[in-house]
Amino acid sequence: MTLASRIPSRLRLGLCSLLLLTAPAFAAPIPVTATFSILGDLVKQVGGEQVEIHSLVGPDGDAHVYQPSPQDVRTLSQSKLLVSNGLHFEGWLDRLAQASGFKGAQVVASQGIQARAMADDDEEEHDGHGHDADEHHHHDGMDPHAWNDPENVIVYVNNIAQGLSRLDPEHADQYQANADAYVRQIQTLDGEYRPRFAALSAQQRRAITSHDAFGYLAQAYDLSLLAPQGINTEAEASAADVAKLIRQIRQEKIKALFVENISDPRLLEQIARETGVQPGGRLFSDALSAADGQAPDTLSLLRHNLDTLLKAMEQQ
Amino acid sequence: MLRFDNLTLGYDRHPALHHLHGHVAPGSLLAVVGPNGGGKSTLLKGILGQLKPLTGKVVCGVPRQAIGYLPQQSRIDRSFPISVQETVAMGLWRHCGLFGRLPRAQRLRVAAALERVGLERLAGANLDALSGGQLQRALFARLWLQESQLMLLDEPFSAIDNQTAEDLLDLLEEWQAQGKTVLAVLHDLEQVRHHFPEALLLARECIAWGPTQTVLSADNLNRVRTLHAGPDPEAAFCSRTPE
Amino acid sequence: MLLDWLINPFSEFQFMQRALAGCLALCLSAPPIGVFLMLRRMSLTGDAMSHAILPGAAVGYLVAGLSVEAMTLGGLVAGGLVVVLSGLVSRHTQSGEDSSLAAFYLISMALGVLLISTHGSSVDLLHVLFGSTLALNDAALWLLGGIATITLLGLAWIYRPLVLECLDPDFLASVSRAGSWVHLGFLLLAVLNLIAGFHALGTLMSVGLMILPGAAMRYWTRRLGLLLLGSALLALVACISGLLFSYHLGWPTSPTIILSLGVGYALSLLLGGQGGLLPRLIRRRHLEA
Repeated sequence: MTLASRIPSRLRLGLCSLLLLTAPAFAAPIPVTATFSILGDLVKQVGGEQVEIHSLVGPDGDAHVYQPSPQDVRTLSQSKLLVSNGLHFEGWLDRLAQASGFKGAQVVASQGIQARAMADDDEEEHDGHGHDADEHHHHDGMDPHAWNDPENVIVYVNNIAQGLSRLDPEHADQYQANADAYVRQIQTLDGEYRPRFAALSAQQRRAITSHDAFGYLAQAYDLSLLAPQGINTEAEASAADVAKLIRQIRQEKIKALFVENISDPRLLEQIARETGVQPGGRLFSDALSAADGQAPDTLSLLRHNLDTLLKAMEQQ
Repeated sequence: MLRFDNLTLGYDRHPALHHLHGHVAPGSLLAVVGPNGGGKSTLLKGILGQLKPLTGKVVCGVPRQAIGYLPQQSRIDRSFPISVQETVAMGLWRHCGLFGRLPRAQRLRVAAALERVGLERLAGANLDALSGGQLQRALFARLWLQESQLMLLDEPFSAIDNQTAEDLLDLLEEWQAQGKTVLAVLHDLEQVRHHFPEALLLARECIAWGPTQTVLSADNLNRVRTLHAGPDPEAAFCSRTPE
Repeated sequence: MLLDWLINPFSEFQFMQRALAGCLALCLSAPPIGVFLMLRRMSLTGDAMSHAILPGAAVGYLVAGLSVEAMTLGGLVAGGLVVVLSGLVSRHTQSGEDSSLAAFYLISMALGVLLISTHGSSVDLLHVLFGSTLALNDAALWLLGGIATITLLGLAWIYRPLVLECLDPDFLASVSRAGSWVHLGFLLLAVLNLIAGFHALGTLMSVGLMILPGAAMRYWTRRLGLLLLGSALLALVACISGLLFSYHLGWPTSPTIILSLGVGYALSLLLGGQGGLLPRLIRRRHLEA
């Protein structure tokens, strides 16, 4: 990595050891590691200045194919708190935590949410794909992408606030206040979009996304989202899947088609070409965009996704 | 046809053959003989330009690409799916180029060459159907089609039957009669005495060169026998090399 | 009924037509290249070269996204460099072509992995690995067609010296200096075809389409011409059946294509008239001569 990123971590190391010596006198930021960029942002919202956050899988990264760097391992080993999504989203996490000798506290952000089963079973007809079995096996039948439903984000935020408070009781009030403020922002957002989605007709509530990561969102707003590919980004589509989808688009006259930030856009382009549907824009599923992108934080990610979906659906 | 001026050839500064002087007249049929490690194959490589002289030079009367060469252990891949006829026809490529089409008239020449070496019935067979002797016959046919004025053969008759060797030796004599120059590295001194008017005896240097009977005298052959072959890591600089 | 099974997928869906067109182009060029690789006992070299190309394609992907041109150019540069460098090294030093090629492709691959991991976003490279038979856009089709054309013209041009270089390299060296150029040209054609394979089938599968048809046809014929023709034909049949099975049974496309080829290979191995296993077991009366 670059020299610039190395120096702060050295500094941090220095600060930590300084902290051990003079703990009561100074309140240095608590080192927290989050597994991916969306969680990282949530921790920052709750912890504010009190935490020093590091995300293992950065913006635009794909947690499905993450490979830890030595820096990640070292940062994790120095962290006091590890925030993960759970629901088998980070299959690699246990091994990484062991390898790094991580001894801090852990927060599973999705704890307490109503986990839903694989998306395929809900929205598509039950005529079994060849590769369904694999996917179920991979995620143990649970859809991990819970953060795409604003309701769940509220649960995430509260879990994070509790975790931070246990670790740093002194600032517990502040964490809870930050969390409450953030929850209010999310509720505002939800309140803004829920009626507009509710106003859509059944015909309008259909869309196609290339990565099957919006099951929770679809459930929350009662939408019908179809995907040509399975829930894993590495699953390769069969000709039968694609053919079925094209037929469906033609028969049901779906116009809303989305390419999101980490899945293969070529396949959707082909489907768009074949059905005459214009791609409706980009949805962000597993990662924030870079700071100058369309979804640099979780709130704007949610807003962007809802907005993009709504606009495309209102037009059909 | 060929001239050697103080020619030293070797590998990694160790000479395999040094300070060779002399020339080969057009129309010669010259046998190159000598013990293993005596520099025979090295000489052919030097003539072909595959090995750069350490000192001296080879002056060759024909362009290097026009020399007909039959290597000792042909690296020919006999499992390659190609017929005897097609293999032999490769000899013509100097005439029609590597990239051109083979004209119809040339096919008759291929057929004639196959007949001359007695392989006409095997023309359509694949190479791996041939015996060692038959393969050598095919390679001679190919060499013949090359129509080179200078031909170098490296132990062409080792490990093949006597009948084939005799047939092919006849072919060499026929080529000489046509005015072509032939250099052949050989082991069988009887073959040399019977078929080659001229011989060159090499043992890291030229021991004798001239009419076969004189070169293959008991005296010369005894001198050669004491040679210890192989590069000597302790060897001193050669005193005959001018600074 | 059967006709429907065969024709309907292609008549109803444009993406199937495109996949078929791409496969057709690839089947004309990659299997003949594979036949020569096999005859030179370089079948595994194809695999090594595909690894050498991958980093170039990946870097192209990182720089310009999923663009056909950038990935092709990157792959061509990486593959060409590895081929040329290993050729130079093996010709001018003691090391053999296999070891120098292995050395350079390993270096190239490590370099590629390093570049990808340090340059931030770990974009899902698996899509590069898998390619997308079902998502061939115009640019990719043009590229596949272009590469097939270049390959066929190139092979026709170097056909005779290439055969000679395979059969008897010493002889070629004694009559012409073209040998090393022919060898290099051939390897570059192989690189081009691997890149074409990347776009159509993905990196993991493209070597299969190159090597398997020739390996299978070797059990049927001893004639080079037939070998070349037959391998292209077999590849085409396998591509069509792969597409159809993927369509009707819902299997992922590129592995299905390669597995069809695998079935073809297994049948050839068992039944082939030239050294197949079963014909060997049948003892027939021997001939007079």
